[in-house]
Amino acid sequence: MSFIDASPRSRKLSFVAKIVRLNWPLILLVSAVAGAGFLMLYSVAGGSLDPWSGRQMARFGVGIVLMLIVALIDIRFWRWLSPFAYVIALLLLVAVEFVGDAQMGAQRWIDLGPIQLQPSELMKVGLVMALARYYDWLDADRVSRPLWLLPPLLLMAVPMLLVLKQPDLGTALLLGLGGMVVMFLAGVSWWFFAILVGLGGGIIFAVMESRGTDWQILKDYQYRRIEVFLDPSKEPLGAGYHITQAKIAMGSGGISGRGFMQGTQSRLNFIPEKHTDFIFTTFSEEFGFVGSVSLLVLYVLILVFCGASVIANRNRYSALVIGGLSATFFFFWAVNMAMVMGLAPVVGVPLPLVSYGGSAMLVLLLAFGLIQSAHVHRP
Amino acid sequence: MTELAPAPGAAPRGGLPAFRREQVRMLFLMLAFVVCYGAVGFKMGMMAASEPVEPTLAGGSELPAAPVRGEIVDRQGRLIAANLPGWSLYAHPREIRHPAKVAHALSQIFPDLDPESLTRVLASDRAFAWIKRPITPRQKQVVMELGVPGLRFGRRDIRIYPAGNLTGHLMVGVKPGREDVRFAEIVGRGGLERYFDDQLRDPALTGRPIELSIDLTAQMALSEVLRDGVRRFEAKGAAGIVMSVETGEIVAMVSLPDFDPNAPPEHFTGAAELNPRFNRAAQGIYELGSTFKVLTAVMALDAGLVRPDTLIDTKTRLAARGHSIRDMHRMPPRMTVTDIVVRSSNIGSARMAMMLGTGRVQEYLKRLGMFDALPIELAEAARARPLLPPDWTDLSTMTISFGHGLAVSPTHLAAAYATVANGGRRVAPSLLKGGSGMGGEQVFSEEASATMMAILREVVSRGTGRRADVPGYEVGGKTGTADKPRSDGKGYHKDRVIATFAAVFPTTAPKYVVVVSLDEPVDRSGPRPIREASRTAVPVVGQVIARIAPILGMRPFTSPIVGPAGGGVTTVPVGR
Repeated sequence: MSFIDASPRSRKLSFVAKIVRLNWPLILLVSAVAGAGFLMLYSVAGGSLDPWSGRQMARFGVGIVLMLIVALIDIRFWRWLSPFAYVIALLLLVAVEFVGDAQMGAQRWIDLGPIQLQPSELMKVGLVMALARYYDWLDADRVSRPLWLLPPLLLMAVPMLLVLKQPDLGTALLLGLGGMVVMFLAGVSWWFFAILVGLGGGIIFAVMESRGTDWQILKDYQYRRIEVFLDPSKEPLGAGYHITQAKIAMGSGGISGRGFMQGTQSRLNFIPEKHTDFIFTTFSEEFGFVGSVSLLVLYVLILVFCGASVIANRNRYSALVIGGLSATFFFFWAVNMAMVMGLAPVVGVPLPLVSYGGSAMLVLLLAFGLIQSAHVHRP
Repeated sequence: MTELAPAPGAAPRGGLPAFRREQVRMLFLMLAFVVCYGAVGFKMGMMAASEPVEPTLAGGSELPAAPVRGEIVDRQGRLIAANLPGWSLYAHPREIRHPAKVAHALSQIFPDLDPESLTRVLASDRAFAWIKRPITPRQKQVVMELGVPGLRFGRRDIRIYPAGNLTGHLMVGVKPGREDVRFAEIVGRGGLERYFDDQLRDPALTGRPIELSIDLTAQMALSEVLRDGVRRFEAKGAAGIVMSVETGEIVAMVSLPDFDPNAPPEHFTGAAELNPRFNRAAQGIYELGSTFKVLTAVMALDAGLVRPDTLIDTKTRLAARGHSIRDMHRMPPRMTVTDIVVRSSNIGSARMAMMLGTGRVQEYLKRLGMFDALPIELAEAARARPLLPPDWTDLSTMTISFGHGLAVSPTHLAAAYATVANGGRRVAPSLLKGGSGMGGEQVFSEEASATMMAILREVVSRGTGRRADVPGYEVGGKTGTADKPRSDGKGYHKDRVIATFAAVFPTTAPKYVVVVSLDEPVDRSGPRPIREASRTAVPVVGQVIARIAPILGMRPFTSPIVGPAGGGVTTVPVGR
């Protein structure tokens, strides 16, 4: 099935018609969130565009143009491209093993001259595309047959293992969750997910329960590590340092915040990774509860518009892509937020569109481009 | 392309559309997501409403509370020693990734750290290493800003002395005792801190500060005036004491050179007497010269052997054991007891001592506390015992009568003068508020005491103490200029003296004793260098009294009962 064979409904949209059909509220929401990011990067740099805010703006400019280009290309092309996108991302992931650049003790980057590429980011999009393509092809009656569950699980497992090896637990989990959402939306039986959750939970339960018994699975020190990992406040000066400082920052923000550029915790470098993973703490310290909730509402609205787009879209591939990508976006946000607020362990996940980082920003905008394309070219 | 409507291509656009599976599931998913958002929003609200609290160590409340050292205040309740919550900085070198960088950054914050040796420590395979202790909360913040994992902080108190050098010799300082990461014991290393160490560390007593007899303002004034005197007379050092005659409370005690107890000098090379940590006022044992003539005279008065106007032969040289006792200046052949003190006759004093006899002189001196270590509350005082003649002969009695052969500290002298001044009751010098209390053993009769005060007043109104005659305060006192013994033990230096002035004021109703000793002073303002106490220690005491008396709440007599004697020119400015 080539991308050229057209559906009867959407034969040819004029350029103007495509522009009109773009999901403009979504573009505005994305820009607004990115704008909050610029402000924060400006603030944590001590009131300077250098070194983060200016570059982030430039990247966003490039990214939004890319997004529009992707959006204006027919979704059928992207559907055709899906398997290739997955394979390319996979190859890059393998390549990063050999030519990757180690940063912060993890090998994640490929240096392509002007831009550094993080293949695991690309894989997030590639995996969703490939899975959507698979379920688009697969007869709806067969989605829950065990045999037909194997290919998608394999598609997920290979990149997950590669990413785990980098090591990057956070991204591996996000990949898995993104894939699960596509399977869920595609209609895989509830039983499958129930069994999956039960299995995972059971293993964790068994490991934790075995502590102190004769058949203890892990060593004592490994349990202690897990404890601190799950509850950083047990070691506030060590592993829990990030979290406790982040909590203080958010607590000191109060209801209305300390005001733009007035956040002491973040400005005084108490917060590690203040311009990347922990940028939300600065935001909530300076803009308080009101600001944080406003940002939250922006994220909710992005999700609502994506959801509405899924429900309105009668093309199976389009719906799955929009659903899978917006869910990935949500997971990004949720994991980062939970981590910052001490609800979940610290795994290096940036706050989407706000944290400093080129790769993540470009990939996110690329994903929004696909979402837009699916929206524009809806039947 | 697969269209997945329930009936492909036939979904009625206008009618109620049956939801497809994807749509239902998407709705479900969105519901789940929104619940997550809600949970995060709720948690945000909780955090925003929470008071920002510093994290405590796990189970922090269960740790034994760090023992807090008791505070020390002056007689007005002003802080002399207090505690600041501080921190220690230590490292887990194995966790440090860039030892050289970290060492450099730390040496920027603490200039006393050597980056190279610090790099070695941080690069080592040790599990633990102290970096610096204690550090202030501000320094801790700066180190925290480095954001280096592996650098850690432990709680400990910092002992601070807000008055700094002013209380150096009294406090001396503290040192760490037993310590670990979570707490550190603070132990007094000398002075009051060591003397009261047990009491200061007793948790049951830390709530009540130790109240000293010291008045910080008077201490400040005494210190400034002495410093000025040391500079003016090129002295090697100085000691000064202001003591209440009734209770023995030491209101001010200064020794120069001094030091900051917040950072006491660790090592000192050079002559021990120049070590700033040496407390000249309490540890310094000197022959204090003619100031002792007052004691000899009051003994003779008390014993009823003489009256102020009794004439004593001062012509004949006194000889004993091949030594002869002479006077510095030509004296009349016969002098009254008053004149012997006012004009400072060695022969006259020696005669009076011989009238008393060695046994009685020793008895008096013993009752004055001149043979014992100072009973004041400084750790160093117990080791500074007076130097007695190894073999006490009549000659010793004679020389001691004018202040040679018995070496005591200026504080000993102050206590003896207080006894003379307060009606004859012995006082024990004390640094605690309230002192030893009134009503000690009666050493001299009240009459002898009053008579002696009148004679001391004359020393100032017409004798060697003229330069200390602060109008309105009826200052009395006696000078003493003692040649310093040579360090090789062969006699005395000709041009090095300890110049002392021991003053009492007001003489009609004595309240305070002031003793000032200058080490090797010399006044080079005139044509020839002058070292006598009358030109060095005396004007310094004048300034001390002029400044301290108002601080101690004493008003000058507007119409002096005993005014400055005729022609006595006051050289001491008043009011400043």
